[in-house]
Amino acid sequence: MSTVAAAAAAAGRLTRPLRYNVSLRLGTALLLAIILFGVVGTFVLPDPNDQNLDDAYARPGSVAHPLGADALGRDILSWVSHGLLTGLAVSVSVVLLSAFVGVVVGLAAGYTGGLADGLLMRLVDLQLAIPPLLLFIAASAVVGTDFWSLVVLLSVVGWVPYARIVRSEVLAERERSYVAAARLAGARLPRVLFVHLLPATATLIIVLASLQAGIVLLWESGLSFLGLGLQPPTISLGFMISQGRSDLVEAWWIVTFPGLAIVLLVLAFNLLGDGLRDAFHLDVNVLGR
Amino acid sequence: MRRAAGTGIRYVSGRLAQGLVVVLGAITISFVLIHLTGNPAEVLAGGQMSREQVDQLSKQLGYDRPLVVQYVEYLGNVVHGDLGNSFRFEEPAIKSVSHALPSTLLLVGTTILVACAFAIPTAVFSVRRRESLPDRALRRGLILGQGMPEFWLGLVLVLLFSVKLGWLPSIGLNGPESLVLPVATLALPLTAMLVRLLRAELLDIMTSDFVVALRSKGLTENSILLRHGLRNALIPFVTFLALQIGWLIGGTIIVESVFVWPGIGTLALSAVKVRDLAVIQAIVIVVALAYVVLNLIVDLVMMWIDPRIRTGAR
Repeated sequence: MSTVAAAAAAAGRLTRPLRYNVSLRLGTALLLAIILFGVVGTFVLPDPNDQNLDDAYARPGSVAHPLGADALGRDILSWVSHGLLTGLAVSVSVVLLSAFVGVVVGLAAGYTGGLADGLLMRLVDLQLAIPPLLLFIAASAVVGTDFWSLVVLLSVVGWVPYARIVRSEVLAERERSYVAAARLAGARLPRVLFVHLLPATATLIIVLASLQAGIVLLWESGLSFLGLGLQPPTISLGFMISQGRSDLVEAWWIVTFPGLAIVLLVLAFNLLGDGLRDAFHLDVNVLGR
Repeated sequence: MRRAAGTGIRYVSGRLAQGLVVVLGAITISFVLIHLTGNPAEVLAGGQMSREQVDQLSKQLGYDRPLVVQYVEYLGNVVHGDLGNSFRFEEPAIKSVSHALPSTLLLVGTTILVACAFAIPTAVFSVRRRESLPDRALRRGLILGQGMPEFWLGLVLVLLFSVKLGWLPSIGLNGPESLVLPVATLALPLTAMLVRLLRAELLDIMTSDFVVALRSKGLTENSILLRHGLRNALIPFVTFLALQIGWLIGGTIIVESVFVWPGIGTLALSAVKVRDLAVIQAIVIVVALAYVVLNLIVDLVMMWIDPRIRTGAR
């Protein structure tokens, strides 16, 4: 058998569980559609921050404002398409930063055990005891909430589930003979952790990341809704919903469409995570929200 | 969750110690929070005071002393039940929190009852008719329900039931009908989560050896599920529910804001806006304490119900 054919067969074995998976397909399609809508919208649609008081409370259905306009005449369709991209950017940044920190801590705590491990587990307890949203609200009294501050703030809570899951996986893996073999062959600690143990936890991390992305989006939009998150000129879906709140009776569209956008994006992340979880036969739960 | 092996007393003292560490952690976090930017006096001043005034305020409130001294003093005060004073209400912060706490507990308690009332029959139905069309449709629906932002769901419910139909009040707490919309908003994502959990637990139980034995004895599928399945799923179910108290209170903050509910969520938000730091700190500590006490109670009850936990056997 040629190496190309062998490689193709190996790739086929790896991706087999990913085919014929309805959740995974729906989630991927929805996510790609949202990204496409966001990117195309950014180039084609007017600037969402453009105010035009002549168009205030424009009803949905017109050519100029297909989804209507808010009290300041800002176009809801552009707001939604930009807002989805902002939400994606926050989610992806927080997930990457959290995963990086959590994986490093989880690997180290699981492998070395002892004091570091005990401390980590108490942090896990603590994270469940203090609702993330309460912590974010409390922190917003003292720290700013521009894009990167928000990413760091959300990651301060977000890394813990990765550490918890990687740790328990490492505890099970480190007794396996390949780890002992690597040690005997003279591999140093970082090599054992990152070259030998990390791949064993990769699927868990991927599933957790896609499930967490939806939660992060809910955090971000929730904080922005409360007026403690992203503010214009940064475009946040949660902010627009808070704007439409007082006009709920006269202008239902200001609240409805940005909310639907959040629901769809969270749904895409959850379908993706769920599909991957089933495909890899994993039992991953992101406690807390 | 890890289960300590050994006797009941060792198990309970282990859980108690863990709980104490969590409370200590919450106190530490609430201390660190207000010192994040260096000098809490600057946060209090909010950029409205001159350098000299900030220094004077800092000195007056003792923020100019070494952090360790302040931390130990703070810890001592908290242990004695002194969580500082709310400068807005000019009363102890703990008093403001305890005024707001009952409304939040009412909201959370009702939500849990309602969510269980819907989740348990739904999960049983879904397991009984597993892989049928309604079961598949339900599972897709659950993914949608879990991702509902509470603030949006709440507003949509207000739009439908208060604005369009005029059936229910949209804000405040005046009588039992005020509970309907906030509870529905909070209960929907929780129900979705509980159905998923219970369904997975029940499926697990229904493939275990003792169920095979019950089937071979000739028991009907319904009575196995209702009398044996549910009973065995109870412990992981309640334990999970207790662990979710944290995020339920988190969700409550948003729902309280939407429905102008007079609970600790509304208190926290208004305290943040005027930088009433002592109240924010008190809320963090009280919530963590409530979580720890509740989980401890659940642990004890579960130990009483299930001797396997007590003896460390799994």
